[in-house]
Amino acid sequence: MEDLLKSIMLGLASGGIYALVAVSYVIIYKSTRIFAFSQAGMLVIGAYTFWQCLVVWSLPIWISILITLAIAAAIAIIIERVSMRPLIGQPILAPIVVTLGVMLFLRGIALLFWHGEVEGYGEAFLPLGVWHVGFLSLPKIQVYGFIICMLVIALLISFYKYTRTGLGMRVVHEDHLVAQNLGINVKRIFQYSWIFSCAVAVIGGMLLGNIQGVGLDLDANGLIAIAAVLFGGLESFGGAVIAGLAIGIIQIFAIQYLGALLPGEITMLVPFVFLLLILLIKPYGLFGLVRIERL
Amino acid sequence: MTINVDRPCGTFDSNYYQAMEIFRTPLRKFLMIAFIVLLYAIAFILDDYIISILIVFCAFSIGMTGLQIITGYAGQISLGHAAFMGVGMYTMAVFQEHLGFNFWFALPLAGLVPMIIGMLFGVPAVRIKGLYLAFASLAAHFVIVYAINNWRSVTNGTDGMYLHRPGVLLGIDFMIDKYYYILVLTVTVIMIYFAKNLSRTRLGRAFVAVRDNDIAAEVMGINIAHTKVLAFGIGCFYAGIAGAVGGGYYEYVNVEWFTLTDSIWYLGFLVVGGLGSIFGAIAGAVVWKSLDELSTLVTPITEALLGGMAFYASAAFSLVIYSLIVIVVLVLEPRGINHRWQIIKRSYRLHPFPY
Amino acid sequence: MAVDTRDIVKKREQRYSYGLTLLRDCIEETRDLPNEEDFFKKNVLRVEDITISFGGLNALSDVNLELREGELLAIIGPNGAGKTTLLNVISGFYKAQKGDVYFQDTKITNYSSHKIAEMGICRTFQNIALYTGLSVIDNIIAGRHPHIKYNFLNGMLYFPWARREEARQRAIAEDIVDFLEMEQVRNTTVGMLSYGLRKRAELGRALALEPRILLLDEPMAGMNLDEKEDIARFIVDIHEFLRIPIVMIEHDMGVVMDIADRIAVLDFGLKIGDGTPEEISKNQKVVSAYLGKAGEQ
Ligand SMILES: Nc1ncnc2c1ncn2[C@@H]1O[C@H](COP(=O)(O)OP(=O)(O)OP(=O)(O)O)[C@@H](O)[C@H]1O
Ligand SMILES: [Mg+2]
Repeated sequence: MEDLLKSIMLGLASGGIYALVAVSYVIIYKSTRIFAFSQAGMLVIGAYTFWQCLVVWSLPIWISILITLAIAAAIAIIIERVSMRPLIGQPILAPIVVTLGVMLFLRGIALLFWHGEVEGYGEAFLPLGVWHVGFLSLPKIQVYGFIICMLVIALLISFYKYTRTGLGMRVVHEDHLVAQNLGINVKRIFQYSWIFSCAVAVIGGMLLGNIQGVGLDLDANGLIAIAAVLFGGLESFGGAVIAGLAIGIIQIFAIQYLGALLPGEITMLVPFVFLLLILLIKPYGLFGLVRIERL
Repeated sequence: MTINVDRPCGTFDSNYYQAMEIFRTPLRKFLMIAFIVLLYAIAFILDDYIISILIVFCAFSIGMTGLQIITGYAGQISLGHAAFMGVGMYTMAVFQEHLGFNFWFALPLAGLVPMIIGMLFGVPAVRIKGLYLAFASLAAHFVIVYAINNWRSVTNGTDGMYLHRPGVLLGIDFMIDKYYYILVLTVTVIMIYFAKNLSRTRLGRAFVAVRDNDIAAEVMGINIAHTKVLAFGIGCFYAGIAGAVGGGYYEYVNVEWFTLTDSIWYLGFLVVGGLGSIFGAIAGAVVWKSLDELSTLVTPITEALLGGMAFYASAAFSLVIYSLIVIVVLVLEPRGINHRWQIIKRSYRLHPFPY
Repeated sequence: MAVDTRDIVKKREQRYSYGLTLLRDCIEETRDLPNEEDFFKKNVLRVEDITISFGGLNALSDVNLELREGELLAIIGPNGAGKTTLLNVISGFYKAQKGDVYFQDTKITNYSSHKIAEMGICRTFQNIALYTGLSVIDNIIAGRHPHIKYNFLNGMLYFPWARREEARQRAIAEDIVDFLEMEQVRNTTVGMLSYGLRKRAELGRALALEPRILLLDEPMAGMNLDEKEDIARFIVDIHEFLRIPIVMIEHDMGVVMDIADRIAVLDFGLKIGDGTPEEISKNQKVVSAYLGKAGEQ
């Protein structure tokens, strides 16, 4: 029982970040129908940029966050404008290859600037230490991380719900043509989606950097989050959150209970085997829409 | 894929066999034969460094042709092609090391094992497509890499394995690089010829039918489940052979050699070369591997510029430059090099009348 | 009767020095004709009590339909009546919730689409569904797929027999191209053809499958008068020369009245009429459903 609870807490902690990253995929997918693999690269860029501001330049935390978000927005605008907009109407392979290319491009940039060394924020970001609650010992960074993830997601969802722009974005989610006819600037919405998504991704990157260390390998989390997005059904925020948390928990359980049977590092294996299972059993995920093809 | 119409004005087919030829004019056939003979001949002129590059070109041309079959012809997306190439290498090594097979017997197996695994991972493709398939193949990549990394008793884990070239056959010593190059070139020519045949016969047309309109294909009598799985199977067969002959050159294989990044470049440079033609596949492979060579060449320069910390520069160079190339080509010329080549050829075909 | 058909066939053969002869040979080869007299009485397709609905919308309810050998049946009905859905059920693309489809007394309700096509139920589509990257001739040869007799290994190695088979298939396909008068565009990628020509290429691909039954979904929609006449001529020729039954969905009543042997009328998923053109034009229910208010006045 104790073990179980501990595992669940651990799983939720990593699951929260998967959920956040999954949401960043969903933001773009819902409005542009493009799956932005590049967000895995944004995690790395976010973590390193934040580290640069916070640790190297010793800037105050708020300014560092603002700079990181600003850079994320700038990158988002460039990606959208330069590489995604010309692809509208191209077959599905084109955006897949381009976003994967952008992912590796961002990785290359990070490598160029930061030489691939693993860094840490130390005490500068979230407080270190552990809380003891009964038999549970909760690392503070993970608790704060989880709370921040959920706050960001809540903020985002309420933005969609209660603002005018959010309303416009929801119309775009439903149908591009209808939105266009209603006088909504669909291209502008695409741009907003990229900006939001990249902002969410860099926040994810900062939190991951705090927990796992700032390094190039953070993009693996972006890939794991793909399993979550798919499980949630690709275009549902709620689905992405639930699935993200579920993947976190499944991963921890698998490591604890199957770790003895399966040799080696299975953190990557588990989510992807799970992904294959979803594809075989329920390809459109928990909350996805089944698209009927007609002749 | 469409019948080759590039021939001088006024050339027409007088029978159906002629319409089915790969080369529609004797001149083109002659040029191609001359080119292949040249490829063989240069083995005796060039030094080992160039030979090593040519071997890599050949191996990756085979692999890229495999991906062309999966993606360019059958329209299925594979993000695990490098991993299947790795399976080919490891199959070769495992059969040689544990079961004592020689190169010649292990070579077909190095194609068949990835083929079977590829067909297994192709099974989800029967129900899903596009993005979902990209995810499935991504998963395939990680599962394969995990298996190779951790099935230590068979694959030596991260230590890598040794494999062997064929020994002396008919008085030819394949341990000498130029003779091994001739072997690899022969395999490449044969595999590419087979792929060309595939593309102009029954299954090749079924692939394109599935790519262009899979639901219509099913209603028009093509078993698309069968076709898709076969596309993955054949493509992975090619990947396996590519890995086996490529690994044979180094006589060593390591799981680090086929990362997700490589799988992505496979797909990216396939598009750079041009989807849906064998020429495009070869062009993509050659461009990719030339850039690889370039990025190792610039390492000393960057080292001179940046001092001792330049170890990352070559890796960063390849990541940034390659992705820029892939993105620029996709944005500006989605039909790739092949399209440019066709335009050049067409201007010849229409000579002397421009219209 | 038997002598009659032979005569027609002869005449056609004389009229066109080229045409569908190769294809007809393929079809006749496998057709069992125990008794020429009974030929036109034979029932080739039977649709029984087909019901299918899409989320509450009844696209077809309890539709029955029979098709006799050598018959040209037109299905008419207003937009959204369920005509295309009926063809989709017959060709196995939609699975009906209730009812069965029989082809020459074999129950094919649960067969997969490609199997049904292989058996000879071939069709064209309302929204053209060609293989856009292939040329006209390759589209037609791709239609030959189930009838090409070598496996992919033979194709890859390109053995002489595979080569010979390819040439034979190409001959049949060229025959179809000639018949459809598409020689000029045979090597053009279909994506670049005009709408009318694409419809024609689709007809060619359906023919390549050696149809026992040809299902045509609005073959003349969106065409000008000349093109319509061409297609009508092709349909009549196919019908008489290959002696196969044809089911045709068509909105142009003029053409339907002219060439159809029998007409079935669908409205809101219900079959409201079935009979010869004269019977249908007199049927009050049909007239009011099809022409709406105008018909009642
Ligand atoms: N896959 C599907 N999903 C949902 N509804 C469908 C589907 N296919 C058909 N329908 C509905 O079934 C009804 C009948 O459609 P169908 O295409 O058969 O009409 P039709 O008679 O061919 O009309 P038209 O003359 O416009 O071609 C329509 O209301 C259509 O919206
Ligand atoms: Mg219709």
